Amino acid sequence: MRRAPGLDWAERVLGGPVLWMGLAALTLFAVAPFVWVLLASFKTRAELYATPIVYLPASLSLANYVEAWTSRLTPFSRFFANSLWVSSVTMVATTVVSILAGYALARFRFAGRQTFLLVFLATQMFPAVLLIAPLLSQWYALGLIDTYQALIYSNFSFTVPFTVWMLVGYFESIPRELEESAMLDGCTNFGALCRIVLPLAAPGVAATAIFAFVASWSELLFAITFTSQTEMRTLSAGLLFMVGQYEIQWGQLSAGVIISTIPVAILFTYLQRHLIQGLSAGAVKG
Amino acid sequence: MARGATLTAPVARPLLSRRARELLTGYCYLIPVILALGGTVLFPILKAMQMSLYNHVLIRPQEYGYVGLANYARLLHDETFWLSLWNSFQWVFGSVLFQFLGGFAAALLLHQSFRGRALVRTITLLPWIIPGVVVALIWEFIYQPNYGLLNDILSRAGVMTERVAWLANPALAMPAVILTNVWRGVPFFAIMLLAGLQAIPGELYEAGRVDGASVFQRFRFITLPMLKPIIVVATATRIVWTFNYADLIFVMTSGGPANATQITSTYTLLQAYSNLDFGYAATLSVALLLIMLAFTVVYLRLTRGLESVA
Amino acid sequence: MNERRILSRRALLKTMAAAGTLTAADLKWWEEPLLRPRRAWGAAPVRFQFSVPEPKRNALVESLVQRFNQAQKDFEVKVEFVPQAQARQKLITSVAAGSPPDCCQVWDNWVGEFEGMGALEDLTPKVKDWKHYKDVLPLAWQTVTVKNKIASLPWVVTNDALYYRTDRMKEYGLSAPKDDWGFDDFLAFTKAFTRTDKNQYGFGMRGQGTWAVLYATEFMYANGAQVLKDGKVVINSREAAEALDWYLDLFRKHKVCPPSVPTDGWRGIVEGFGRGITNTYIHNSGSAEEQKGFVGEKNFSTVPLPLGPAKKRNSFYFSETLTAFNKGKSREGAWRFMSWLMEDEPNLMYTKGLGLLPSRKTLFERPEFMHDPAYQGFIKSFPFSIVSPYLAYAGWGGKIDSEGVPLFQQALVGKLSSKEFLDKFAEVLTKNMA
Repeated sequence: MRRAPGLDWAERVLGGPVLWMGLAALTLFAVAPFVWVLLASFKTRAELYATPIVYLPASLSLANYVEAWTSRLTPFSRFFANSLWVSSVTMVATTVVSILAGYALARFRFAGRQTFLLVFLATQMFPAVLLIAPLLSQWYALGLIDTYQALIYSNFSFTVPFTVWMLVGYFESIPRELEESAMLDGCTNFGALCRIVLPLAAPGVAATAIFAFVASWSELLFAITFTSQTEMRTLSAGLLFMVGQYEIQWGQLSAGVIISTIPVAILFTYLQRHLIQGLSAGAVKG
Repeated sequence: MARGATLTAPVARPLLSRRARELLTGYCYLIPVILALGGTVLFPILKAMQMSLYNHVLIRPQEYGYVGLANYARLLHDETFWLSLWNSFQWVFGSVLFQFLGGFAAALLLHQSFRGRALVRTITLLPWIIPGVVVALIWEFIYQPNYGLLNDILSRAGVMTERVAWLANPALAMPAVILTNVWRGVPFFAIMLLAGLQAIPGELYEAGRVDGASVFQRFRFITLPMLKPIIVVATATRIVWTFNYADLIFVMTSGGPANATQITSTYTLLQAYSNLDFGYAATLSVALLLIMLAFTVVYLRLTRGLESVA
Repeated sequence: MNERRILSRRALLKTMAAAGTLTAADLKWWEEPLLRPRRAWGAAPVRFQFSVPEPKRNALVESLVQRFNQAQKDFEVKVEFVPQAQARQKLITSVAAGSPPDCCQVWDNWVGEFEGMGALEDLTPKVKDWKHYKDVLPLAWQTVTVKNKIASLPWVVTNDALYYRTDRMKEYGLSAPKDDWGFDDFLAFTKAFTRTDKNQYGFGMRGQGTWAVLYATEFMYANGAQVLKDGKVVINSREAAEALDWYLDLFRKHKVCPPSVPTDGWRGIVEGFGRGITNTYIHNSGSAEEQKGFVGEKNFSTVPLPLGPAKKRNSFYFSETLTAFNKGKSREGAWRFMSWLMEDEPNLMYTKGLGLLPSRKTLFERPEFMHDPAYQGFIKSFPFSIVSPYLAYAGWGGKIDSEGVPLFQQALVGKLSSKEFLDKFAEVLTKNMA
């Protein structure tokens, strides 16, 4: 009878020094840029532009944050509120739209279903730059330039196809029998969706919702094309124009970078587990 | 669909058959998505195709008019377009290759069990989730010639005597933006491959060990084949995404210096923003679309082949 | 009778209600900007786009607008600050969409493009009756005249000179450049100013934006080159190529410029000097007040550009304009506001605040402009300053930016020779002589 041999030499090296060195390198590579910017956000002007470089700020001064948050020229408080609003509305609307569509595509065998699925897949392949010029003239024609609606509607173009695709996968993994028995008890189709399917699919729905939020939070090209007034800018657009027009104030900019990162970082820690499952579920099917 | 069979209550025959009602409900569920994507994707794409047939330069309203395929003819003779395609190729190839290698290594590491794994996972996956403009600015700051991190490290290490302007040097700008994109994209591959690794049944490895396969052999004959489908899918998704992605380069170099980092998607943006030539910008974006569709068709063929093998 | 059908109708309604979340985004309450300017009752609104927002200018413009709104009751000006990078695009798209602002502040080299779109209010008749018409410098009128029509009011004029650090000059034992210095002196001066070990460079060359080409052209003029001769574009002459080679070699060969040149625009060169990385740079007088804050009033000075081998030199005048659109909703309000900005007090407030020069003679000749050492380089350049030759054709303004600068960058990084660049550039100019 054969026995599994103990750890061989290669395994011990791989599991020991290589693993630890790899992890250290990986963490450093991922984290160093953040640390650099985080440190810069506390530095004074003199510290930022010193030769040779000063790595550690003399004090943890929050001056850059206060300035960025309250500045009249680049009011990050306003940008933050704009981003929050645009991303939240996009998230809610996207989720509602894609629950309905995902459910329909997962449950009903109607003509054109395959085409629909293919369209959602193909839409994810479309370059955002393709939409810029036509959407710009469309929003101009509708008088939606410098409004939240233009941004929210435009965001659908990249959130909806992906979330529908992901939710179709989730819904298909939920046994059909549960709804059927519910419907026998007098539930409507919609009732069954709300009372039976959604609670079961809740983690998946949450993941897609957060995806929609994070994707809209990061969106840049639509935000700079369809808005031009300072008070309508999102964080991404605000950051970009902070570079373009004034002295590149790396202190304030770093503070802005940190401010923009925190919400998505928090969401991401929550999302991570679901996203891994969801992505692989959707992707393997893809 | 079989559920109706058990319905015994004597109801009057509904106006529509159950099947028809079900379909109707299904279609109703699709109305919002049709509106949402019709208005923001479908109609604009048709509009872009129409725009590409017009001379539509905003600063020359007098010359607005239908020009047939003139914009496409211009595209074929546009040196910068061909250059941008070549740059796009370098950008996609460099980014995806190194993202894949880095991501694979990261996934293998993160798949091991060690203390603080959850924390390390979250931290290393962060670069993927933060806004593109933030990534671009962080790295612009790192590359800054006079008070940036990279020059300082290299000169302290004694590698470099003269300050280098990474983004202003045509030979270095492309590698610099690719490195930034690699930083951003490694977590994507890490997440995908990690999910794939977790799905491989442990018994396979056990069996391999029992058969005396070394760790490298197990990797070669168990891990790789099991991951193949997910590798193909993730790579293809990433290729498409990287090809279309403009934010990073747009923020960091705007395609400069001297078009050294001008990829097709930033060139399209430039035509729309700077030259305000909407006709030609639309033509470029339609060309982008066609390239991506061609790629998608090949990709779908490929994955279908894979599925039948698996 | 059929509960199922009733329910399914309700389900449908619910579905539609859910979809209604989309339309709910049409509510108006969040559309109002947080900061809403006070509005005088009954005053007609006038939209004014200001295109160089930076802290100092914004504060100045806001206080000017406030004064105007308090000084009269008929109009209420609302200023829209649009970043320079977006300003031209925004104006052109809003003109194309038929809803331009009533008036705007832009540069003279953009005006031709708007004229070409047929979007401008012809100010000629109003200007001819205007009380300050004769007081505005003729060259200032020249910068805003397109096809014999006065297209804008020249808010300020300015020309180019060289800023240099006087404190570091003394530190390194250099002597101040003479007013009639030459190319060789310039090279020696900037070389002596280059201390790579201290991260200091002799010359902050501009590599991005329209003026990257304009500053280079000034050096070509110093060698006897011209943009136009007998109605033909001759910028690709031998003299031009020689001078350009010499100019670009400052970066390519002598390395007296920081490596970041190809990405340095307006902010890049001003900041580079302000942070002590470069010791000289070429700019108009508009950054003088800013540098007083950055490096200190006593630590810098200005000097005219050097004479070229042809013993010639030119500095180019250009103006920041006030321009009105013919599709604006309040054309009278636009004129009232623009002409008010040209009055003594508002004009002095703006020009002096920034270091730009007033376009009206009576203001221009005041001692605060004529005797400030920071302005000496500009004032000494007046005798040989000319209106920018690139204002000759309306179609050139935008093309220098969109086609000229990318070509220039290729020459800068050595992908094109100077001659090749100038040939291609001349072709671009010739094509757009409309």
